[in-house]
Amino acid sequence: MKVFKAFEFKRGSTVLHQIDPRSKLVYLILFTFLTVYFTNPVALLAIFLSFLPMVYIGKISARWQQSLRGALFFIVFIFVFNFIATVYPSWNFYGAAVSGIAMSLRFLNLISVFSIFFLTTSPEDLTQSMVQLRVPYDYALTFNMAMRFVPTLSREAQYIMDAQRSRGLEMERGNFIARIRNYIPILVPLIISSFRRAELVADAMESRGFGASKKRTSLYVLKMSQTDVLFILIVSTAALALFCLNLLL
Amino acid sequence: MISVEGVTYSYGGDVVALDGVSLEVGDSELLAIVGENGAGKTTLVKHLNGLLKPQKGKVFVGGIDTKETTVARIARKVGLVFQNPDHQLFAETVEKELAFALTNFGASPEEIRSRVEWALAEFSLVKYRDRSPFTLSGGEKKRVSLASVLCYDPEIIVLDEPTTGQDNLQKTRLAGLLTKLNRQGKTVIVVTHDIEFVADFIPRVVVMSRGKIIADGKAEEVLVAKEVMESSSLLPPQLAELSWKLGLKHPSIKLDVVIGEISRMLEASAK
Repeated sequence: MKVFKAFEFKRGSTVLHQIDPRSKLVYLILFTFLTVYFTNPVALLAIFLSFLPMVYIGKISARWQQSLRGALFFIVFIFVFNFIATVYPSWNFYGAAVSGIAMSLRFLNLISVFSIFFLTTSPEDLTQSMVQLRVPYDYALTFNMAMRFVPTLSREAQYIMDAQRSRGLEMERGNFIARIRNYIPILVPLIISSFRRAELVADAMESRGFGASKKRTSLYVLKMSQTDVLFILIVSTAALALFCLNLLL
Repeated sequence: MISVEGVTYSYGGDVVALDGVSLEVGDSELLAIVGENGAGKTTLVKHLNGLLKPQKGKVFVGGIDTKETTVARIARKVGLVFQNPDHQLFAETVEKELAFALTNFGASPEEIRSRVEWALAEFSLVKYRDRSPFTLSGGEKKRVSLASVLCYDPEIIVLDEPTTGQDNLQKTRLAGLLTKLNRQGKTVIVVTHDIEFVADFIPRVVVMSRGKIIADGKAEEVLVAKEVMESSSLLPPQLAELSWKLGLKHPSIKLDVVIGEISRMLEASAK
């Protein structure tokens, strides 16, 4: 559950926090594309290294590392699974290891770039930028609320786990099938309370006049600044450089 | 039986949930832990069955260090019922909900049957036995959650806010049951805000404030100590407040004592 915590926004005052979400969206899309497009582990490693200055500027290194630690299990899993899947017909251990490393790095890069984005972008700004990008407000708000309830859900899962363990539930007991069954007492209350909460939120929104007027206005409007232009310029150049590097390798 | 020795616990961040808490609870005691929101009551209680392990200090349950055993092993001895029944109800019927813990602890089918029958009767849930727990009202769910732990007959019973959402009749019944279990030799610990419930039924009171225990003693003494009640943001029992307002020499939480004091005062003023 710690993984979620690593994506939780905390207010900050660095340049990276002040940059318009739309500029950061450009960054997110560029680097996600590069990560998915590259297959060479060296190029993927170069992308990974390019995150370090970002993390430093945004002063988010502690929580970024936390997100990586949370993902460690998946990274190992991806490596092993990839290795086994590719090694089989050819018995080329070197090739299988390289492809496993590339896949793990890819995953690491995706986690990092999303982590940088969400750690430095406030949910309200994100919603506002979506609205300004002509996403219908209902969808923007739905997205915002989904993000907002992730930590709530993870906290609730913890309460439920505490309650069931207090009644003698041992999650790690039994064989594979039994272990999956062990999750029923956790999942049932979690799902039911989520539905109940959704209803409560809907009621609360309606009592505060959600959807009362057709045309919504915003108190704050996001504006692109010179810093944003500079930021987009820098990240685009970096992306181009990485792209060329990949061609050379 | 339970011994908490200098336990400190923090959830990370600046706030210390428990700050060097020590508490001794003997066999077959009946006590209440009271305190403001965020005082650390629930954190303390989670240490009693090993859900949380102390970051500093030690917790012993029946002589066993909670760090050296599993939650399931301690849970057999220490039954912990949480505040919110929605965090635990999951079974198709009330009956199955009650049997869950017993099954986990490997009880025999006959034992399960007899214990479930006992619990259904004790918490007036017999007519709901085949109902889904989700269709019950808030107060009924609360009773199911209490029954689902009490039915496996733990030696130590810890209840977090058991009186919320219960009317006076159910509260009195709960008090009766707790007193009865206590007389049968069980240790009962109640975490609550409901100070009148404590004043009426519970002999020993532990007051917590900001992660520390600020008072621990007989209810008659702790609940009439003005400084303690004020510094813990608790609503004092009405009789204690009346005693203070009248300036009684011996403030009390017992009706007959207060009446005695008042009539003595009146006699003195008549002379």
